[in-house]
Amino acid sequence: MFHYFHNHIQAFLRAVIRIKSNWPSSIIMILVIGITLCLPATGFLLVENASQLSSKIEYEAEISIFLDQTISQDQINFIGSALKQTSSIEKVNFEPKIRAWEKLQEKLKINSLDAGISENPLPDAFFVTLNTLDNNIVESLHKDIKNLEGVKEVIIDSGWIKKLRSILYLIKVGLLILGTLLAMVLIVVIGNTIRLQTLTYQNEIEVSRLIGATDSFIQRPFIYTGIFYGLGGSLVTGGLLTVILELFNRVAFKFESILGGLIMLTNLPPSKYIFITIFAMALGLLASYFSASRSIKTI
Amino acid sequence: MIKFNNVFKRYSGAKDILQNVSFEIHSGELVFVTGSSGAGKSTLLKLISAIEKPSSGDIIFENQNLSDLRGVDMPYLRRKFGMIFQDHKLLFDRNCFENVALPLAINDTTSIDISRRVRAALNKVGLLEKEKLMPITLSGGEQQRLAIARAIVSRPAILIADEPTANLDKKYADEIMNIFYSFQQVGVTVIISSHEAPKSPIRFKEFHLIHGELIKPQDVSLLS
Ligand SMILES: Nc1ncnc2c1ncn2[C@@H]1O[C@H](COP(=O)(O)OP(=O)(O)OP(=O)(O)O)[C@@H](O)[C@H]1O
Ligand SMILES: [Mg+2]
Repeated sequence: MFHYFHNHIQAFLRAVIRIKSNWPSSIIMILVIGITLCLPATGFLLVENASQLSSKIEYEAEISIFLDQTISQDQINFIGSALKQTSSIEKVNFEPKIRAWEKLQEKLKINSLDAGISENPLPDAFFVTLNTLDNNIVESLHKDIKNLEGVKEVIIDSGWIKKLRSILYLIKVGLLILGTLLAMVLIVVIGNTIRLQTLTYQNEIEVSRLIGATDSFIQRPFIYTGIFYGLGGSLVTGGLLTVILELFNRVAFKFESILGGLIMLTNLPPSKYIFITIFAMALGLLASYFSASRSIKTI
Repeated sequence: MIKFNNVFKRYSGAKDILQNVSFEIHSGELVFVTGSSGAGKSTLLKLISAIEKPSSGDIIFENQNLSDLRGVDMPYLRRKFGMIFQDHKLLFDRNCFENVALPLAINDTTSIDISRRVRAALNKVGLLEKEKLMPITLSGGEQQRLAIARAIVSRPAILIADEPTANLDKKYADEIMNIFYSFQQVGVTVIISSHEAPKSPIRFKEFHLIHGELIKPQDVSLLS
């Protein structure tokens, strides 16, 4: 166990020495990783912010409930109190058909007699504001209300939110595909850099092998180098994201009055940054493992 | 300990470099492999340390046929040998101390032990005060001694030295030979190649190669 750790510390130190001794190419590698990962990460940041925005709008979603023409006052009262007792309903607003008729007339500037309509064609209606847009809750609420006696029609006014959500979802999928492709590119690029390094240290590898080094001993420092590149790259990504965010928010602040409100992007939560870091390190590990073990065998 | 049975060696198609070589080396012996340039001395040493494989014939080391050895076991076999290569194979991007420490790092030695043993090995070859220098700044003889320090630092049971005194004047050559003799005295098997056997009054075995053939079989030269 001790030897195991000792071996790894040694390999780690050797990797640090190697990175230091060819720092220009190390820095380039780290920048390449950082900037490449920054692309999907920025996209993800925007989508996250948009989703947060859309989840704020969700609370303003409404359900319109139109009642039968022949409904009795008792039934209206019953439906009203049933709605008020539902936990996912924030606000219940009743609009009698008379009021709706008046409103319509006002809007169209017509008189019922002029128009030749003697009878009010509009139904009584409840307008209900929800405190959730959880699809399951909304669906079951829709069904329950529809089954109430005297209810003619239920309309959910949240269609556009659904659309927005599915667009955001599609963008997320797109970003995921982009991220995967870029990750594959990075694996190739990191792998190639590590392969070139094994060639630089060809002499050392040869000698080490002659005096009894195992392949895993020889390839360990290269793997640490790859992990290091990943770590450095993720730090660059984090830095770039923060700078982009800061710049955007400053611009947004200037245009606050024009935009009619402050649109501020919020940074990704720490957990996402940890994910990016681990992801980048894993990329470095994978790339360097495969490329070093393959290249070392040919030396 | 090391046994060659009718070993032939040829490199990719050309003529046989070693022909029908058979001998045995016992533990603790001092062996000189002699012969002129191109006779196959280095090749013979490379076969002993399994750096090269025989084209035919068997090489038995500690009752194991080396041709049965799996690739993954090779590093552990190599660690039993202290090797001094004809071209030294020093690492020129590491200082003397680090060069000598390399086998210990490979052997999993702990760091406290490493510095103690590296210094002891450097001291033995008279390079202790140059531990921080890079090998490129050393003279040819000093590089030779550095290579010896690297070979002895892990206290191997077998020392294999390919022309360790070439390019050295007689005084240094004698000094270096004395280092090898002192190791043999404490039980290490020592195998040295050189153009000719030493004139010093010491007991050794000589394998003389002419065009890849073992002319003088073992234990011919036993000076006392
Ligand atoms: N890797 C190789 N590939 C092809 N031929 C080789 C190889 N190594 C050695 N030879 C050939 O084998 C022959 C013997 O070489 P070897 O190095 O064993 O000689 P040597 O006795 O050590 O000579 P020297 O005293 O010059 O070191 C030489 O003719 C050489 O050209
Ligand atoms: Mg030779």
